[in-house]
Amino acid sequence: MAALDFERYYRKPGNTLFQAIVGGAQDPFDFWAGPFYVGFFGFVAVVAIVLGVLVLFTAVGQYGDWDLLRANIPPPDRIYGLGLAPFLKGGAWQIVVSCATVSFFAWALREVDICRKLEMGFHVPAMYMLAVSAWLILQILRPLAMGCWCEGFDLSFSSHLTWVSNTGFKYMNFYDNPFHAYAVLGFFLTAMVLAMHGSAILGTHSTDPDPNVEMRREDSFWRDYVGYSTGEYGIHRLGFYLVVYTLIMSDLCIFTSGTLVKDWVQFWHPF
Amino acid sequence: MATFIPAAHEPLEDAEPSHLDVADPLGIRVGKATRWEFLRNLKVDTQVGTIWLGTWGAASTAFFLAGLLVFFLAGMDQTGGSLFLLIKYFGNINLAPPDGLGLARSLRGGGYWQIVLGFWALSTIFWAGRCIERLIRHKWRPFLVFAWLSAIFLTACIWVFHPLLVGTWSDAPALGLNSDLQWAQNFSVLWGNLYYNPWHQLAIFFLFGSAMLWGMHGATILATSSEASHHEDAEIKNMTSGSQKAILFWRWTMGFNAFPKSIHDWLWWFAVGVVLASGIGILSTGVVTNNWYAWAVDHGTVAQYGPMTRSAINQRPRPMPPELLAPSGYMPAAGK
Repeated sequence: MAALDFERYYRKPGNTLFQAIVGGAQDPFDFWAGPFYVGFFGFVAVVAIVLGVLVLFTAVGQYGDWDLLRANIPPPDRIYGLGLAPFLKGGAWQIVVSCATVSFFAWALREVDICRKLEMGFHVPAMYMLAVSAWLILQILRPLAMGCWCEGFDLSFSSHLTWVSNTGFKYMNFYDNPFHAYAVLGFFLTAMVLAMHGSAILGTHSTDPDPNVEMRREDSFWRDYVGYSTGEYGIHRLGFYLVVYTLIMSDLCIFTSGTLVKDWVQFWHPF
Repeated sequence: MATFIPAAHEPLEDAEPSHLDVADPLGIRVGKATRWEFLRNLKVDTQVGTIWLGTWGAASTAFFLAGLLVFFLAGMDQTGGSLFLLIKYFGNINLAPPDGLGLARSLRGGGYWQIVLGFWALSTIFWAGRCIERLIRHKWRPFLVFAWLSAIFLTACIWVFHPLLVGTWSDAPALGLNSDLQWAQNFSVLWGNLYYNPWHQLAIFFLFGSAMLWGMHGATILATSSEASHHEDAEIKNMTSGSQKAILFWRWTMGFNAFPKSIHDWLWWFAVGVVLASGIGILSTGVVTNNWYAWAVDHGTVAQYGPMTRSAINQRPRPMPPELLAPSGYMPAAGK
């Protein structure tokens, strides 16, 4: 891909995490590959991704179903508890999950590197790590708390849906899980506020020579329409923190199920 | 290539709420707004109000309040006239739809449900009128009302079109906090597990994608707002260093980037995609198949678990005979 005309100005070597940690040594991967920045943590992420994908394809080939939707890497059987499992009885899942986890962390640190190079805030890697927390809880922390890797979900398109369905019924009725309800509320609110923000910008941009007039028309519309406008900075804060709320509720939703609460219907009738 | 120098920007102190928030460029606002200074601590605008009523708004508000009144009256009916029980059991208040497609034969047998939903349907439609009217007055393009109509499309699919297609209002959600959760669970089980409905899958993709995009866009703008990237209308006309950094962050991270205008296309279509895909998923349920698991097995998107036979999984559950039905799930009246 061709570089953007202003890109050369920002592509400067140095100021990486690797340098800060190792103490001044040059980051050996401090370069770009096409549009991608690589960096030491990009290298780590690529190694973990390639290793994980190779193991994944090896296991799928052994299991025999190459269908894109049905190909499946199941978690270990219950008898292996928190130990290592044979390759085709959950060992492949353990390797792939480990590689994915390493690559997620490396990816976050690579985002930190890019933020440092661009001298911007660290909001994106922070949000990214919050999203990764859902993966950590589903695949690592909750299985640890439950004492069995078998609690993790299948790495597959259709059987991870089956896992979600079965896990909902295992704790009787997931809709009675209050954190699930708060998380769903957060997802719906997020989508609604997203539509409102997109409509505001798409509805007003390039309608007046003065962008300040466009921006004031956004504010005055929302005041007329719903009585309040958060402003063009505030709307991004609102969206950001709605997602933070939603992710925290999602984490609580799945972590409490099975560890603290066995039955979400009985949860509401404690006595 | 000439040496590039980023366009000058005025560094903002720290996310100061818009200093232009009293402005009214079109001269159409009425009333005197108030200010809540504590909002400054949240770094959002402090001006509250004034809200526009208008004829459409008056009609919308009136029908919303009328529906709310009937809802509370029905709740009082279910609790035997006890306000205390109404508050205590508010989550269990359950206005159920009637069987069949006609008018309900009694208030308790679905009449409350039809009255409340009729009022609220009118309220949301009048709100769309209010939206159009304000959009014209403020010279916006009509994106917002199309998003609102998409949301109405989903609610109409759930409460009107699907019941019409399968021949009974009772497939629609009852009104009440717990009862709509029960509907979500039961509807999925009744139609063979909605997780295997491809439109439901697409809707969840858009829903999670919307959260992801809000996380990405919100975080990107907050991280670069000290260089004015949050003045989005201005950035669309003429990018400054804030937007350039926002663009390059994603280009360097994932090899692809949107631009100050095009990111809002992504946002809008993902958010609207949620309700459009959901609506199609509801419409196709009971029409395309009566068992989404069987459909998924037939179309090879899921492995067949266990020895279920076609004839077994293709049966809709038979309706419960009326003598076995509890009387509409009403709570015992006070004092009984």
